[in-house]
Amino acid sequence: MESTALSGGAMLRLENIHKRFGKLEVLRGINLEVKRGEVVCVLGPSGSGKSTLLRCVNLLEPPEQGEIFVEGHDICKGPGSAAGEAGWELDFVRQRVGIVFQQFNLFPQKTALENVSLAPERVLKRPPKEARAKGTALLERVGLADKLDEYPDRLSGGQQQRVAIARALAMDPHVMLFDEVTSALDPELVKEVLDAMRELANEGMTMIVVTHELGFAREVGDQVVFMDDGVIVEQGKPADVLDNPREERTKRFLGLVLER
Amino acid sequence: MNEIISQYFDLSEMSKHFDQVLDGFVLTLELSLIAGTLALLWGLILSLLRQVPGKPFLPVRFLTVAYIDVFRGIPLLMIILLISGSLAFLPLPDAITIPHWLGKPDTFWYGVMALTITYGAYMAEVYRAGIEAVPGGQMEAARSLGMSHGQAMRNVIVPQAVRKVFAPLLNDFIALMKDTTLVGVIALNEVAHVGRDIQGEAFNSSALTLGAIMFLIVTLPLARLVDKLISREQSRFTRGAPRVEAL
Repeated sequence: MESTALSGGAMLRLENIHKRFGKLEVLRGINLEVKRGEVVCVLGPSGSGKSTLLRCVNLLEPPEQGEIFVEGHDICKGPGSAAGEAGWELDFVRQRVGIVFQQFNLFPQKTALENVSLAPERVLKRPPKEARAKGTALLERVGLADKLDEYPDRLSGGQQQRVAIARALAMDPHVMLFDEVTSALDPELVKEVLDAMRELANEGMTMIVVTHELGFAREVGDQVVFMDDGVIVEQGKPADVLDNPREERTKRFLGLVLER
Repeated sequence: MNEIISQYFDLSEMSKHFDQVLDGFVLTLELSLIAGTLALLWGLILSLLRQVPGKPFLPVRFLTVAYIDVFRGIPLLMIILLISGSLAFLPLPDAITIPHWLGKPDTFWYGVMALTITYGAYMAEVYRAGIEAVPGGQMEAARSLGMSHGQAMRNVIVPQAVRKVFAPLLNDFIALMKDTTLVGVIALNEVAHVGRDIQGEAFNSSALTLGAIMFLIVTLPLARLVDKLISREQSRFTRGAPRVEAL
């Protein structure tokens, strides 16, 4: 396919993504290209389809129409066709694309370290010793060296979210998706999570960040995307979109967010 | 009053038949443990089959639901009679149709089969409730880390689900244990059958009462354990709230 060749330089490329839940069309033709090492921040009112977009990218919610290329590889052949899961490259995408959720979703019966080392052991078949060593290093990296053996319910929201980041990183993803990861946190815990993400961005990780943190988008984002009603309304450099929005809907949204 | 005591609580009658009744109760316990373990496993398998995703597995899900509905809807006694009455005539190896494993009579194994078939269906529903009580985000997190549906079930969902339904499963086990007495109708010498034989000869029910007391010695502590587990599980969800101690 022609687009495969074109997407050679892109880490991730979405073409005309459509997704509906029953009658509700949540995504109505999304096109997006994310370059290697780029940080794309996605803004938009609730219900605009931001989270669904992320969930499409790693096929938690496979799109009905459109193509998704990860590193030039079409992971979603023939969406909507009878092929179903057979047409999705689940293994390919899930071992390259990590996701962190708003509600952390840590495994409550496992310690912080076990949360991080479980998938590498079971999915990548790494020896337990190696997986634990790597998990320890990752937890140290997000500042949780002293919490290795704690269970999630003994950790603060910010600590849990950092464990979740380490857990996603343990699979050596090439792209990281962040789905409103600070929205469920108490205000004083937001910074520690954003710091961990900032550091990750500085190390060159390709990231798509759905967020309401305009400061983070401005400072860390290479590209800001504003979504509303299932479409991308406006996108560009953070300074352009955040400071000089062209579209009325973007202006209104930014006005509401800044008024808080 | 004296008649009540002599009919049900005649100590000499009890001590005379104590060994016999105890033998019957040991068989009851063996039947309960074997059938209970198998029903726990079979129920888990059924609940997992009921949840396999994907279109190709639609028939599997359908058959599993049909099985669960059917065997929850037929009295255990009839299952016991259906198996014991005709299994021996089916064109299968004798080792299956007239089993004598572990030195136990075929009626024992017919009982194990019937209890497993029926209680497997009950327990499948309990497991299902547990699986459905695990937040959806757990499966998503596991899947997003590259685990297959099966890996996610094994490593993430089922351990949490079992913890949630441990108390109701134990409840079902107590019910299964009591229902083992139904296997007495196909002349297995479990405790109720033994008690009834003695009752018929002695025109006195004290041996049966003794059997009932043996049941209570096992079931009462288990029932207390269930209560304790339930209140512990609930206090996990209401942490921080003042705890109401059980009476």
